Amino acid sequence: MSGLVGALGEAWSEIRHHKLRVLLSLIGIAVSVGAITAVVALSEYQQQQMAEQSDRFGGRPATIQFTANSSDGTPMDWDAFGAHVDRVAERYDFSHLTRIVDPVMLSLQTPEQVRQVATRLVDPAYPVIHRTPLLEGRWFTEADVDLASPPVVVTESLWDVYGRPDLGSGFALQLQGDVGGSYTVVGVTPREYAGDEDKHVTMLYADYTARRGILPPDMAVAWEVWVPEDMAAEIGPVLAADLRAGLDAGVDVTVSRTDWASRPDQAQYAQTFELVTGGIAGLVLLLGGLGLVNIQLVAMRQRIREIGVRRSFGATGSRIFSSVMLESVVATAVAGVIGIAIAVAILKAPFVLDMFQGMQDIPPFPMRAAITGLVAAVAIGALAGFIPALVAVRSNVIDALRF
Amino acid sequence: MSLVRLEGVAKHVVLPDDTRLDILRGIDLEIGAGDHVAVVGRSGSGKSTLLNLMGMLDAPSEGSVSFRGEPVRRMRKARLDRLRGRNVGFVFQQFNLLAGRTALENVMMPLGYARGREFWTRRTAATRMLERVGLGHRIESTPEQLSGGEQQRVAIARALVRRPVLILADEPTGALDVETGASVMALLDEIASEADAALVTITHDLNVAARARRHYRLDAGVLTAFELDVSANAAAAAADASGLAANVEEGTDAAPGAAPATAELEPAAEPAPGAAPAPAGAAEAHSAPDPVRVSS
Repeated sequence: MSGLVGALGEAWSEIRHHKLRVLLSLIGIAVSVGAITAVVALSEYQQQQMAEQSDRFGGRPATIQFTANSSDGTPMDWDAFGAHVDRVAERYDFSHLTRIVDPVMLSLQTPEQVRQVATRLVDPAYPVIHRTPLLEGRWFTEADVDLASPPVVVTESLWDVYGRPDLGSGFALQLQGDVGGSYTVVGVTPREYAGDEDKHVTMLYADYTARRGILPPDMAVAWEVWVPEDMAAEIGPVLAADLRAGLDAGVDVTVSRTDWASRPDQAQYAQTFELVTGGIAGLVLLLGGLGLVNIQLVAMRQRIREIGVRRSFGATGSRIFSSVMLESVVATAVAGVIGIAIAVAILKAPFVLDMFQGMQDIPPFPMRAAITGLVAAVAIGALAGFIPALVAVRSNVIDALRF
Repeated sequence: MSLVRLEGVAKHVVLPDDTRLDILRGIDLEIGAGDHVAVVGRSGSGKSTLLNLMGMLDAPSEGSVSFRGEPVRRMRKARLDRLRGRNVGFVFQQFNLLAGRTALENVMMPLGYARGREFWTRRTAATRMLERVGLGHRIESTPEQLSGGEQQRVAIARALVRRPVLILADEPTGALDVETGASVMALLDEIASEADAALVTITHDLNVAARARRHYRLDAGVLTAFELDVSANAAAAAADASGLAANVEEGTDAAPGAAPATAELEPAAEPAPGAAPAPAGAAEAHSAPDPVRVSS
């Protein structure tokens, strides 16, 4: 214990007494550790953004989607199939289940004209499963079904058509046709990307069918259920079997996973990005390490008498080795911490967050990145300290004292 | 009980032209606890090599070195290092303090290689030792801020802080003026006596050597004992720092134009039989009057 503390103390003391040399030699290390840390963290940000974007289309992990179609060409009886789904779902007690019909084209009276607008029919669980963000207002609740003026959520682009009115002032859409009437806008979803002009309305499935009666037979209804990821593989086949049981021979049921986690290609893309950029940063770190080796070797020549004195006062070879080695490791670890701090500062900068526009859940600074950076710093310190430490140990005490 | 015993020790090196250079030959020497031994000799006579052998920094080419009865040759390197750290304190001519480190850090350094209580209380022990050598007020000063005498006092504190049983001083006053050298030697003697440590001093200065109880001359690698008679006047002079202006005067090697020396060298002070005569001008030029008489 005292040996380790002593060696660490010696290393720290040496660093303190040669601040300038240490500082100059460690700039490269700090920058490259910062780069490695930032790359790992950016990769996590990128994965998060990709996951969120993917969730908007395919649902969170694990989302199981199922639908049915008539194999003999006769129109589907969605009411009957829906009742069958409800019976099956009761047995599973799903926490998040939604029906989806997308798109249903409806006539909308805008300030300038009547236009066709794509409408998505969903249940309140939809925005949870799809992690759909809101720019303004709120999503549907179960209580919305009872409202006299059915609630809808519109895209930002459609909101702009009306001049972005305040949602609290009773802003409503006027739909025409079979489901004509006034629909209160309770929420606005943001643009997915700059220049997104998609004008879309999201409406409760129940509100649509209450006005329209039965769904047109040419429309396809899909159901989505959000299940624990580790149980998805188990639930899927059982659910498929349950859904198929008791159906007419002419109805085919399709069950599939739609979330990104079921597709390894995106994860592989993120991994490749991390490998390439991390490899470049690693190369920079290695070059910084080489510089450190050079500086440490020169410093060792200057310190040869000091090493002789220490040896004459009882420092063992292993103690000299560990002190010189630790000196390098402690220095690079300090540089690593500085590099990590730089990376944290950069990642929290507004311009970086702007790069990941639309990301809802900005992940905290990933520990994996900090640990990777620190391990890289310590490893390069050990590598850079090894040769000078060997030189220090091999120096002859008598010659060192005469140096 | 003998601390260090050298038996038939010889040390030689092979030069780049494949010739063999004998540095030490047939050395027999025993140092006991509390002993005070002085070794005098010319530059290049092998004094420092002898000191390195006693301090277990070097291994002999022939013969054996034992520490407390145990042959050093058989010891593993790490054990030898620890043994040296625990039992031997070095005082160097050029002080060899760690540059840029405070006096306290320098004195703490040997304790950094200790274990247990000695390690954990190193700051207190080092402070106390610096106070003992009269530098309690300079503990935060670096060597660059200290005078030569103060630096050597720091070096003495460093050598003694682990309470070694053997102190090896290699020309401890060599880089100091006469007065400072005398006070440093007085301090070294005093602290060594307090700790009952054996003190081996290597010096050119017969007045420094006169402080020892046993005296040896090293000439051309051969060690011979000799008696050093200190007259009453010389003793008084030795006590008086101003009288310590003496250096080793051997035979006719005194520098031309030197003041007449009061020291007289007996024939035994001549080079050992068979030893190669020193080249003219090889020995240091010494000119100060010497109040010490040497006899074999």
